[in-house]
Amino acid sequence: MRRATKARIGKAVSYTILLLAAFVALFPLFWTLSTSIKTRNDTFVLPPKFFSFEPTWKNYAAIFDTRGFGHIYLNTVVITLASTLLCVLVSTLAAYALARSPRFRSRRPLEVSLILVRAIPAIVIMVPLFTITSKLGVYDNHFALILMYAAVNVPFATWLMMSFVEQVPVTLEQSAAVDGAGRLQILWHVVLPLILPGMAATTIFVALLAWNEFLIPVMLAGNSAKTLPVFISGFISARNLDWGPMAAASSLAILPIAILTVLAQRWLISGLSSGAIKG
Amino acid sequence: MKARTSIERQMARLAEGLVAPSWFLILAVFALPILGAVWLSFRNETLGAFAPPKFIAFENYATAFADPRFWESISTTIWLTVLGLLVQMPIGIGLAVILERNLRGTQMFRTILIIPMLLTPVAVGLMWRFMFDTDLGVINWALAALGLDGPNWLGSRWGAIWAVVIVDSWQSIPFIMLIVLAGLAGLPKGPQEAATIDGANAVQVFFYVTLPALGPVILVTLMIRIIDSLKMFDLIYIITTRGGPGTATQTLGMLIYNTGFGFFQTSRAAALGILMVLMVLPIYWLWQRAARRG
Repeated sequence: MRRATKARIGKAVSYTILLLAAFVALFPLFWTLSTSIKTRNDTFVLPPKFFSFEPTWKNYAAIFDTRGFGHIYLNTVVITLASTLLCVLVSTLAAYALARSPRFRSRRPLEVSLILVRAIPAIVIMVPLFTITSKLGVYDNHFALILMYAAVNVPFATWLMMSFVEQVPVTLEQSAAVDGAGRLQILWHVVLPLILPGMAATTIFVALLAWNEFLIPVMLAGNSAKTLPVFISGFISARNLDWGPMAAASSLAILPIAILTVLAQRWLISGLSSGAIKG
Repeated sequence: MKARTSIERQMARLAEGLVAPSWFLILAVFALPILGAVWLSFRNETLGAFAPPKFIAFENYATAFADPRFWESISTTIWLTVLGLLVQMPIGIGLAVILERNLRGTQMFRTILIIPMLLTPVAVGLMWRFMFDTDLGVINWALAALGLDGPNWLGSRWGAIWAVVIVDSWQSIPFIMLIVLAGLAGLPKGPQEAATIDGANAVQVFFYVTLPALGPVILVTLMIRIIDSLKMFDLIYIITTRGGPGTATQTLGMLIYNTGFGFFQTSRAAALGILMVLMVLPIYWLWQRAARRG
């Protein structure tokens, strides 16, 4: 009897905490979306209007009418996709080497470098990178940004891919080798098909990180390679903070991610756990 | 066995080629700029200076050490990290333990709770900034409705520090929760059951059995969170407009940004960057320890 009561109280407490946590997790998202479809008057009233307001698309129209917004969105998509492909490709090759070859000359230096790249704050390299890119004439250059985006995510992607390569049984590769297949053939025909799901998970992760990247483009992109996070950050310099369009721009950045997170959560969760613990 | 050794020999040859692209990216984007920072830090380069720059040895470092803003930025960085950990770790671990109970609806709650983790920090920071607004923000309105007097969040040093800690926690707790959840799933159930049979209650089981067993996982999580707290940039840039009010939330990273890109003192910013690298190096040692234990 007492034990049953205790269990019931435990359950009630658990659900209360979960509900509270869910509310805190979702409210800012709800508030962003609802502010993005409010008129200026409905935005600036107290008590706040949670549901009883006339929705409007004006804020989104204002964002799309901003000069160069299409260009900015396209920049973000192109830089995200290109850098993600580059990063996953480079990291998969390195992960295969690290997972399957216990001894090669640059192994130890590479392991150390990956940790340092992950640990050293990128702001440190930004000042010299600014000088270097200016001198080389590649400031505000898409290709330079793609290389930098790819580089900052190499450690995470490599560790993640290593955990997927390690799940492939070595015996499969050995029997292919006995049958006379070369190493590259084995990598292409035996290993690659088996790590494709892992590569997909890594791709989603790296793409999200690239989509969100702010430090690199805010310092090294001017008008031609400007990305969405830089555009959004521009709002804080405006004299009058205009919350409607700001919320609309934010929604355009975070809504795709929120949806993707829910759809791909299984992959994200397993990937994140193995990749992080590996690191 | 013969196949294995021949694979290893073949692999060692191939491996150098497979890691070459990684080396290219790391050297071009990290190693070269860090060497560049060392070189810059011994000179007096500024953007738009008239006099040609020259070698000034350790003067930039001396300037940094003599600057109260440098020490203030270090204190701010440490406060943000420590307060963040104190808020995030217990909540993240607690939520993981609750989800681990596998009550009905756990799947749905887990999905909801991880959403904040991967959202664009710049966009998220901007909306929290709106919510923290002293006059029109929904947070102080809610506090007032509860009879509480909300602080001037972004107008005071501690208000702004807590605002950043809250938003950072909002984004980081899901990460801690997921890692700990994975750690919990990997624990053997035997010791917990044995302790329960011996008469330990749920709280005792958690503190004396589960938590110590999670040690290595928690150490790894702690380390990643420390690294990312030191790196924190986007949220401060947005929420407190690059370290405000005044320099109240100017972290070391923000000081580097403001020195290099606000005041165009390239060399001083580079010297601060090198100091920051030196401060991060002990974490590398911690990492090695964690890797050995995990």
